[in-house]
This record gives sequence, C-alpha cells and structure tokens, in this order.
Amino acid sequence: MAPRVVVLSLASDFGCQVQLSNMTDEILDVLGVIDLGYWQLASSGHMPTEYDVAIIEGAVTTDEHLELLRDVRQTAAVVIAMGACANTGGIPGLANLVDLDERYTVVYGSGSALKVAPGKRAPMPLDEFIHVDYHVPGCPIDTSEFLRVLSHVLLGMKDRVPNLTMCASCKLNQTVCFFDRGQLCLGLVTRAGCGARCPSLNRPCTGCRGVAPDANLESARTIIVAAGHRADALENGLRIYNTSQEVRG
Amino acid sequence: MFFRIIPKREIPELVRGLASQFHVIGPVAKDGSFVYAPLSAPAELRLDYDTTLLPAKEWFFPSSETLMRFTVADNVVIDDSVDETKRVLFGLHPCDVNSLLLMDNVFLGDNPDPYYKARRDNTLIVGVSCMPNEHCFCNAWGTDETHWGFDIFLSDIGEDYYASIRSVMGAELVDRYVAGRPITDDDTAAFQRRTAEFKAAFTNDVDTSQLPVLLDAKFDSDIWEKLGEKCLACGACSMVCPTCYCFDVHDVLEADQLTGCRVRTWDSCQFKEFAEVAHGHNFRDTRASRVKYRYYHKQWGYLSKFERVLCVGCGRCTRACKAQINPPRVVRALQTGLVD
Ligand code: SF4
Ligand code: SF4
Ligand code: SF4
Repeated sequence: MAPRVVVLSLASDFGCQVQLSNMTDEILDVLGVIDLGYWQLASSGHMPTEYDVAIIEGAVTTDEHLELLRDVRQTAAVVIAMGACANTGGIPGLANLVDLDERYTVVYGSGSALKVAPGKRAPMPLDEFIHVDYHVPGCPIDTSEFLRVLSHVLLGMKDRVPNLTMCASCKLNQTVCFFDRGQLCLGLVTRAGCGARCPSLNRPCTGCRGVAPDANLESARTIIVAAGHRADALENGLRIYNTSQEVRG
Repeated sequence: MFFRIIPKREIPELVRGLASQFHVIGPVAKDGSFVYAPLSAPAELRLDYDTTLLPAKEWFFPSSETLMRFTVADNVVIDDSVDETKRVLFGLHPCDVNSLLLMDNVFLGDNPDPYYKARRDNTLIVGVSCMPNEHCFCNAWGTDETHWGFDIFLSDIGEDYYASIRSVMGAELVDRYVAGRPITDDDTAAFQRRTAEFKAAFTNDVDTSQLPVLLDAKFDSDIWEKLGEKCLACGACSMVCPTCYCFDVHDVLEADQLTGCRVRTWDSCQFKEFAEVAHGHNFRDTRASRVKYRYYHKQWGYLSKFERVLCVGCGRCTRACKAQINPPRVVRALQTGLVD
C-alpha cells in the first residue's frame, strides 16, 4: 500500500514546496507511488491524523512549531527535513545574531512580540528537537535530490545525504574555480549534493546546504585568507544559512 | 610508424573530413580555460591550448554513466548497451595520451570493462605536441614523449606539423583528407630542434630519485600529518586527474519507481566515505591517511604492478588543489622531510 505522505511548513517562505510543484515532469509519477494526505501549499483540506511520512519545511521559531513538530514525530514513521530552514535553520536562523525582542520591535513596533509571535523562540533546525530520518538540504531544494531521497524512503534505504564538500562536483562541471578568478566561494566547505549548481551558473556557492561534516574549516580559512580575503570572510559568508548551527556550536 | 608533413593550414580540412565520419572532440575555449568538447566547426579547435579542466578520460570513462536499466518488480535488465559512437579525440598532449595507456592497464586487463572497451575501440586518438607551462612535470616520469597510444601525432615544427602515423586507420585518414608531403631530413632536423626546445622549457624540478624507497622508509613521517592538516578532503585532485580510475556504483529509480538505472560515478580516495565498510568502520578515517594513500597508490602501488607510476605529470591537480597539495610538493617533502 502506498504510504500516506504529508507536506507541511514551519517558518519558511514555502520556496521548497514551490520547488515540489516545479517537478512538472515527475509529479504525476510521484503521486502514483504515494498517498498524498496533505500538502500545505496546495491542499484545501486539513492535515489527517494518521500518516506515514512527514516532509517538513522550515525552521522552528515558536512554541507552536515545536509542539507540532513533536506531534508529527510521534505520528510519522519517517520524517524528512526539506530545505535549508529545516536542515540548518537557514535564513530564519539569522535572527540568532540579534536580540529577538529588539528585532520584533524593529519590525512590528514596540510591544508587538507577544501579539505577533506568542511563544517565539530562537530559530533552530528540526534536529535540534527531534530525530530526522532523511535530509534534503538546500535553498531551495534540488528536485532530483528530493526524488532520490523519496525513492530511498520508499525502499527503506538509509539516508545518503552527502558528507563531502562541493568542489568535486564543481570540477565535474568544468567550472573555472572562483578562487582562480579572485572571488570567494563557500564550496570549499559546503555540503555537496546539488551538483555545484550555483558555481555552474556563475555564482559562488553561498553555503545554503550547510557545512559539510567532512569539511576542513581551519584549512579553508587559511586558504581564504591567503587568497586575500578578510580573516572573518568564511564565518561571515556562512552566516547567511548557518547561524543557527553556529549558535548551537 | 611512418611520417608525413601536414601544413597547419590543412588542419581544418582534416577536421572537416574526420567530422564527416566521426564525432570529433577536441580542446575548445571555455571561460578563459579549455575543455575537451565536441567541435561544431573546425575553427573551434584550439591546438594552442595549455591544458583542459577535465582530462580525456571523461570520453572513455564518463564521470557518470548508466551501466544498465532494469525493472524493479522482477529485476530484469532492459538495457545494458555500450556506447559505440565513432569518435576522434583530436589534440591530446603526450601526458594525456600516456594517461590512457595507464587507464588501459586497469580497464582492459584480464576482465575488460565492456563500457570502457567499447569507447576505446571506437575512438581514434590524434595527439599534438605542446610546450610545458609552470605546472607541467611530465618529464619527471618520462611521459613527455609518447610512441604508441595514438593513431596520428602532430608535432609542431613551425608552419607544418611533423605527423607520426601509428595505425592503418590513421594513415588512411591522412591520405584521404590532407595532401601533405613526405618528410625530408630537414624536417626531421626541425623536429629534433623543437624537441630540444620542449625539453629545455620545463621549470618544475621534481627529484624522483629512489621514490619507492622513500615512500616505504617514510611511511610514518610527520609530513603526512602536515599534509592532512591542509587537505580539504574535497576530491578535486581525483576528479581532474587523468589517471584516477576509482568509481562508485549505485541504483537510481525513476520517479514512478518501476524502473531504475545502475549508475557508475567517479569516486575519490580523498573522500572520507571511500574506505568505510559495513558497520561503519573506516580504514582511512583521517585526511592524513587518505593523502598518504593517494601518493602510495600512485607512486608505488601501481608501479609495483604495472612498472609505471600512476601519474603523467599533467599538473591538473596542482591547479585544482586549493590546499596546494600536488606531486612536486609531496615528492619534495619526501626528499627533504619538510612540507614547504
Ligand atoms: S568554485 Fe567553489 S565549489 Fe567550485 S572548486 Fe572553487 S571553491 Fe570549490
Ligand atoms: S596526479 Fe596530478 S599531475 Fe599526476 S596525472 Fe593526476 S592530475 Fe596529473
Ligand atoms: S589534496 Fe587538494 S584537491 Fe585533493 S582532496 Fe586534498 S585539498 Fe582537495
């Protein structure tokens, strides 16, 4: 029997869900192998109480998110973290750099925090709170990676999110390295798996897939400084998507 | 081997002729660098290139290739055909011609790899002479010359190429598509002069004396730790290397989960996962052990089996490695005991 799948969002801009709807060539095939119970972006109904697989986008930024997340973990046999926000804290994680109360005041006016976001929390990725079975990082996700992971879920294979850095895939694209053009690129330390898409489109890697577990940050820092960039260029660059991780240590 | 003088201005004619029979692949410009790519017009061919980003192995052992397609429910192979496209690889430097011979030892041995063999059997090689750049050190391994492994080899002697022809097919094609003329003693003298200039132009001094002894004697040297501290574990060195042949094989299912592909992709001994086995044990858990392994394999393991080192001195890894780990430097570290 096809597993019942739900797709839901915490704090995010729904970009990864939009990516799912961009899988125009494959979406009908995918719908043929799953029982789609709920898709926050596209469903008009409510989330069912029973399901097998939960695909979660977004970071945890409120108590309500946390409650929902724990609830989902209780119900679902499999949890997939989809996108940068869910995997590293992503863009919402940037709020970890500032005083949360103060930031809410700047955005919404004084005394607003309680009304706008009751139970607000410092933004964190899912695995700060629950066990995550499969990871599809990236901002937004790469749909072919998503399809591979879904396949692994359906077959009961283990998560194979790459632990290595970006440069090998970048070599395969025959992209001239940004360091050879005098530019900084975070591919030196960023988790592979997107096929080094940004460098291949002439944009240095910005680290949206998070720091690779196998990365050598210390050596990368030395290389970056030797290439004439600022001593804090690596940390600064990584902050866009990895501030929550930095705060967690 | 026999010879022919081919005026440079006849090269477009030769390429056009070859293109009527084959897919012609050659060095073309890309973003201030060069890549081997299919030629859409003879003018794209850049025989003045220095090196390419990826080596020619891509055309025999692609970075990702489907070995077979299969059905999931009953496990039946539905397609395992090999690629028999007729190709000419036009413009390989001696290092790259030699690198294919080293690959052949691995892929065409007792159990030939059908995918590699089909491409190799259906591809003609036209080599071209070069001048070393600051990263080249093929002279250290004797791979700056090649006497087999090509159909035609074009040595630049000014206005003309001094063409060495190694195969019957090469001879037929030269006869068919270029006028050319027989060589004279003057041409051979020009060829010798050009060879001497080439040999004198190397700037990399790589002292390979007693390298196998040094490798064994310095197995526990702290140079490996120091190199391991620098290494990014990125595998870029293996990807760009014309002589690295390790691969991984995995299955990818179509979105409908009914059929799948068995895919072979390039792997690298510099990836942490490379030597990890069931239950999670990793034989080369540290970067130091992996950098060391790379050099032991290339400069000693392969040598003990095939009597050549597994490096042709093309310098691609020197360019690719942001941590500046490369054979000249590692060999120097072995000689001096210091990582400079
Ligand atoms: S451009 Fe970036 S990802 Fe590509 S090799 Fe250079 S550092 Fe690595
Ligand atoms: S080890 Fe480096 S220099 Fe030697 S063949 Fe490979 S890429 Fe070229
Ligand atoms: S030796 Fe250089 S290119 Fe190779 S894995 Fe280490 S850092 Fe990357």
